Amino acid sequence: MTAPAAPGPVGGAATGSIYDLGYRGYDGPRSGRPVVVRALLRQSLQEAYGIGRGGRAKVAPFLLLIFNAVPAMLAVGISAFLNQAGGSEVLEQGIPIRHDTYWSLTSTFVMLFCAAQAPELFGRDQRYGVLPLYFSRVLTRVDYALARVGGLFIAIFIVALLPHLILTIGAVLGAPDPVAGLQEELPEIPSYLAMTLIGSAVFAGVSSVVASYTPRRAYAVAGIIALFIVPPIVIGIIAALSVPDIAKVLLLASPSDVVDGVNGAIYGPLRIGSETFQIATLPGWVYVVTALAYVAGSLAIVLRRYLTVTV
Amino acid sequence: MPVTAPEPVVPAPPVVPAMQVDHVSRWYGNVVAVNDVSFALGPGITGLLGPNGAGKSTLLHLLAGLLAPSAGSVRVGGRTAFGDPGVYSVVGLVPEREAVPGYLTGRQFVRSNAELQSVPDVGTATDTAIATVEMTDAADRPIRTYSKGMRQRMKVAAALVHEPRILLLDEPFNGMDPRQRLHMMELLRRMAADGRAILFSSHILEEVERLAEAVLVVYAGRLAASGDFRSIRRLMTDRPHRFTIRSSDDRGLAAALLANPAVFGVELLDGRLAVQASDLGAFARIVAPIARGAGIRLHELTPTDDTLESVFSYLVRR
Amino acid sequence: MRPFSTLIELTLRALVGRRRTVLIALLAWLPVLLGILVRVGGGRPDASQILDALVIRTVCPLVALVVGTGVIGSEIEDGTLIFQLVKPVPRWLTAAAKALVAAFLTAILIVPPVAVTGLLLGGLGPESIQTSVGFAVATLIGGTAYAVGFTALGVITSRALIVGLGYTLIWEGILAGILEGTRFLSVRQATLGVASTLTGRDVGSDPLGIGVSIVILAAVIVGGFGVTSARLRRFQLRTAD
Repeated sequence: MTAPAAPGPVGGAATGSIYDLGYRGYDGPRSGRPVVVRALLRQSLQEAYGIGRGGRAKVAPFLLLIFNAVPAMLAVGISAFLNQAGGSEVLEQGIPIRHDTYWSLTSTFVMLFCAAQAPELFGRDQRYGVLPLYFSRVLTRVDYALARVGGLFIAIFIVALLPHLILTIGAVLGAPDPVAGLQEELPEIPSYLAMTLIGSAVFAGVSSVVASYTPRRAYAVAGIIALFIVPPIVIGIIAALSVPDIAKVLLLASPSDVVDGVNGAIYGPLRIGSETFQIATLPGWVYVVTALAYVAGSLAIVLRRYLTVTV
Repeated sequence: MPVTAPEPVVPAPPVVPAMQVDHVSRWYGNVVAVNDVSFALGPGITGLLGPNGAGKSTLLHLLAGLLAPSAGSVRVGGRTAFGDPGVYSVVGLVPEREAVPGYLTGRQFVRSNAELQSVPDVGTATDTAIATVEMTDAADRPIRTYSKGMRQRMKVAAALVHEPRILLLDEPFNGMDPRQRLHMMELLRRMAADGRAILFSSHILEEVERLAEAVLVVYAGRLAASGDFRSIRRLMTDRPHRFTIRSSDDRGLAAALLANPAVFGVELLDGRLAVQASDLGAFARIVAPIARGAGIRLHELTPTDDTLESVFSYLVRR
Repeated sequence: MRPFSTLIELTLRALVGRRRTVLIALLAWLPVLLGILVRVGGGRPDASQILDALVIRTVCPLVALVVGTGVIGSEIEDGTLIFQLVKPVPRWLTAAAKALVAAFLTAILIVPPVAVTGLLLGGLGPESIQTSVGFAVATLIGGTAYAVGFTALGVITSRALIVGLGYTLIWEGILAGILEGTRFLSVRQATLGVASTLTGRDVGSDPLGIGVSIVILAAVIVGGFGVTSARLRRFQLRTAD
């Protein structure tokens, strides 16, 4: 079968031409780097909560956000109820849900949040090979890394801060005189702000390091969780059994213990019921410095990862 | 004188358990991916043609029992495809997207497939299948060292190892160079000649036109047409057939043809005549007598739209 | 029975020698390392404390989680499970092969270190041997229950790892300790119960009796296998991501 006749140009030898379809380049003003970085930061924060990705992606982060805040909500609810019934003094002694105890009570939820969401933020771009799309823009590799870590940090900070805000608001609204209640609560605010900022920063940094080096989600999740929960157990055993001195120093190798140490530095030994808890007795500033070192070190490692990763 | 034994009666070739697709639909919430598709798959090569997103992969997964139909049924020899692993003894699947385990060698992969199929002689079947796809040299290397075309060929070998009666291939020529594609087409033709039913999907018209004996055209989840594409073309009666004629006197021929009711359009182009005829059969009968009667010599008569492409573009525009 | 052994071979190949298995094996031997450190440091500790806190509460579920989600869950994720499913093999047989590999691999990884740690810390006296063997058996059965349970989880959800972690850390770690009635819904408590009975002393606070514990663990194993079979029978391809 001969080839179908194709419509050819009238009049002789075939020539080629390019038609103007109206495409134009854009020569106008462009937004520039800061806008791009802010956009990526905002998008990272949204991704950390599964916003814009369908229902299933929101389950884990929101569930953990709520779980983390539940004890605060319970405490506020119970205390309001008891205030009505007139037993508020008893409450103060009884319930260990306060600003100073909150982190160590519920840090598991924050850890799970990190393990669930950090791989989403760092792994997906690597797995699907979209990094070249990011890096061929005005966004530099450093910008990308910092925006991602920043987004994760803010997301974790929200999870950690929310319960404290609930407690504060609950205390203010539940007090007989709201203004006095507010004045009572105000001194607490800087402490827990500092605590949640440092805690979130350390957790964000460490999770980012693991997640940026392991694009496969399963490895990243397992790695982050292992990093958080295995060292404390190991150190706890060593301390309890026979070698407390080594344990004191080894503590610094465990991110979650360092953050607990910062909590101790800010609030002093924790009173729960009639007991006081303190896992090791290094001076408080050591923990703070170590925490800051964790944050700086994590940032450096993540930056190095994105500066050297081949796309 | 020796008495020769009577010729043994050769048993008729086994009837292919046809695949019967009956009003199959598949939806995800509000999105209908496959919409009321019915057809019967018989021996030979059938091409599943459609643009990307038309539902080809979904339909193939439904046929392969990897998706449950939201309505309708897919039956192989009386058994339903979904929920009955027994069908896989006669069905082979070459999926498109699924990854082959990179840590196995090609031979281990094909061999494990043979074992899972309970093939009687695993070693021979494995070697045969690998040789059929021309991968014998590379068979003992880990699959992660293969190129995309090589992985594709290994998938085909794994699907062939139990000599299935029905073979489903999802975009099998993806990633193959022209030589491999020719070879694969040859292989599929040989298998079809054995009486197997082969269904392959593609969005590339030339592949389907070259290989398929029958075609299923899907568009937006619906079956737009099925059968041999030339007969589909004949069914498109509301669209005139187009021909190109080269003759000794185009203008004279044009005038003569227009006088006939089977022709309703004539266009004089440079060196040729483009004719639109409403009735293919009538036109075929009258064109030679008209030319002879007018004393005009016909040099060439070519149907210009009897291709799968024109069929397809017609079907998807309806 | 050829397909059964092939499935076992394929699943083992997918896990053994891969990076995730090597890493989790390191985790499994962590108690031994700890035991060595403690002995070198001159301590004479109570072995059951280490074995309880570290092994039963942490190493056992974590190892079982990585192995269990690896046998089916990760094969669904990377798409290699399809080739095992489009075969004329009854799905319960496939489920059985997967669950068996998960249980076997978990046991191989965690039981020897448990025994070694116990003997390392407690010496070779009869009491230490009883402790070590008791913990080893408890870990064997508990680990199997975890492994089969997490295998089922891997078929049910694509986020099995996080859900499994949530179960281990939140449910077993926090809630089951607080809410009395939920002790029966915790594999950890059942494992501790077995360990307590076999070693002759209470491991964990107020452990469950041996009968109840065995029933719980058996229920998890049977139930996990049942769920895996049922879900595999009705397996459908997931849409992307």
